Amino acid sequence: MTCVDNNSFDIAVIGAGPAGMSAAITAAKKGARVIVLDDKVRAGGQIYRNVAASPLVDKAKLGPDYVKGEQLVKRFNACGCETRFGASVWHIGDNGEILFSYQGATQSLTAREIIVCCGAMERPFPVPGWHMPGVMTAGSAQVMLKNDGLVKEDAVFVGSGPLLYLIVAQYIRFGVKVKALVDTTPRAAYLEALPLLPAALSQFGVLKKGLLLLNEIRQAGVPVFSSATQVQVRGEKRAQGVSFVAKGKTHKLESEHVFLHQGVIPNLNITRAIGLQHHYSEQQLNWQPMLDQWGASSVSNIAVAGDCSAIIGADAAEEMGQVVALDRLNRLGLITAQQRDEEAQKPLAKVKSYNQLRRFIDRLYLPIEQHRVPQNAETMVCRCEEQTQGQLRAGYEQGACTPDELKGLTRCGMGPCQGRQCGHTVTELLAQWQEKSVSDVGYYRLRSPLRLLSLPELSQFQRISPAAKSEEVTK
Amino acid sequence: MFRYLAQQTTPEVRLQINDIWVSVPAGCSVWSAMASQGELTTRLSSVSEQARSAYCAMGVCFECLVEIDGIPNRQACLVEVAEGMTVKSQTITQESAMPYLTPSETMITAEQVVQFFEQDGEHDLRG
Repeated sequence: MTCVDNNSFDIAVIGAGPAGMSAAITAAKKGARVIVLDDKVRAGGQIYRNVAASPLVDKAKLGPDYVKGEQLVKRFNACGCETRFGASVWHIGDNGEILFSYQGATQSLTAREIIVCCGAMERPFPVPGWHMPGVMTAGSAQVMLKNDGLVKEDAVFVGSGPLLYLIVAQYIRFGVKVKALVDTTPRAAYLEALPLLPAALSQFGVLKKGLLLLNEIRQAGVPVFSSATQVQVRGEKRAQGVSFVAKGKTHKLESEHVFLHQGVIPNLNITRAIGLQHHYSEQQLNWQPMLDQWGASSVSNIAVAGDCSAIIGADAAEEMGQVVALDRLNRLGLITAQQRDEEAQKPLAKVKSYNQLRRFIDRLYLPIEQHRVPQNAETMVCRCEEQTQGQLRAGYEQGACTPDELKGLTRCGMGPCQGRQCGHTVTELLAQWQEKSVSDVGYYRLRSPLRLLSLPELSQFQRISPAAKSEEVTK
Repeated sequence: MFRYLAQQTTPEVRLQINDIWVSVPAGCSVWSAMASQGELTTRLSSVSEQARSAYCAMGVCFECLVEIDGIPNRQACLVEVAEGMTVKSQTITQESAMPYLTPSETMITAEQVVQFFEQDGEHDLRG
């Protein structure tokens, strides 16, 4: 059993996106011994992926909201914290111990305080055919573009939300042909979001940028279909196109590649496996860890910042990284409560303003029920174990009323993704069948390890201490 | 077809994808290397043994599990290409991993569970 001692770090940050980088910078500046772990190759998270090492000749075409991340990445790289990239965390103990895979072996460390900044993932889009080759997420299109400069010609983009319009506009700027944009934002959503608009006007610049994106897409001559419903991916063994209904008419588009997107949700697996308390947000229709204004969770040494706390966006995540780090520094005795309160004032005010915009965006781009809660028995829900809506319904009829019971009976959520792709769908399906609230249905009980491990990884342990001193631990 | 846009610098890395040697830009992911060569199949699905492909490309869907240098279950989207690497689409399925368990038997009824435990006469789950 490991315990917190002088070989411990003061703060371990998991994830080097906007929240994690900003938390690390804030903590390192106050003299805390900080280590940052991230499973990617470099810092930036998904939003600023490869921004300081872009393979693209003209990365400015990705837009100012991407390019500005380079400053943050540079400040982070110079902040003096320790880093492990390519480090995939698979266990967090209640004693401050973190186990992670690194270069084919397991490394362990202890930290007095842990800040989880593991970001968001795209909301599953469980429609018929979404599991076939040729169907990917819009976020994947953006990652491939930022990370590798890889693009797909003639794809159809389907769904709703700012990220979808952004990647289509980015494709256009790089001269990549987009076959069509199928927008599933219902017409009614514009009216329902309208009362939230005045408060959101404090972020007028961001709103304007959003409108300009849509304009850019239309002017480039990309066919845009609005208020689309009943989206299906067509094809037998791989995608051959999409069908949908728009303006009362069924449309069929041929395409060997479809990018789907209906917003993002917190990446829950770490916060769930630690056993933090969570609640279901009706505003965002997603599960979130329960936190106070300082990002402190139900477990005293663990805080959460950024999009894995709730979807707040990159700018708010960067501010919250600071706020959460300040509170941890106070707990460590490195700053006083007064210092914390003073320094957190500005970032908290900015977050408040961003949140008003967020409420408007959340309402406008709320994913529609038929694309979240599949009604077609053939639709794949659990991709790993290949459990369809019909098979899950059969499991429910046999008596499985909770996600864990359904998992035990059908294996849904038991595959390598550990429920990341089916968790939200399964809880909503069970809620609907039982006419209960999603909160009452709950979520899967998740456990370590958080990823697939090989036997060599499990058998080789190396302990990491501050100042890069490490010792072999025989196991 | 996937294609690479003009790159800043163009050091190329050579690797083998399903027994074919290819050259791709250094620094790209194994998934991107596969996609650029038109090899979209990363693995066979575990039950129906149908072709599957990367979905999220950012480490959360686990659809892109491939065999890299002989080690299976690696996420192609999270691993950078390296000179001389060997990548193979993964063919591990329930059938190949557990030949005694057929897909239809993975769905068991509550009644079967009761029968199983009652076989030895020691458990009475109906009481």
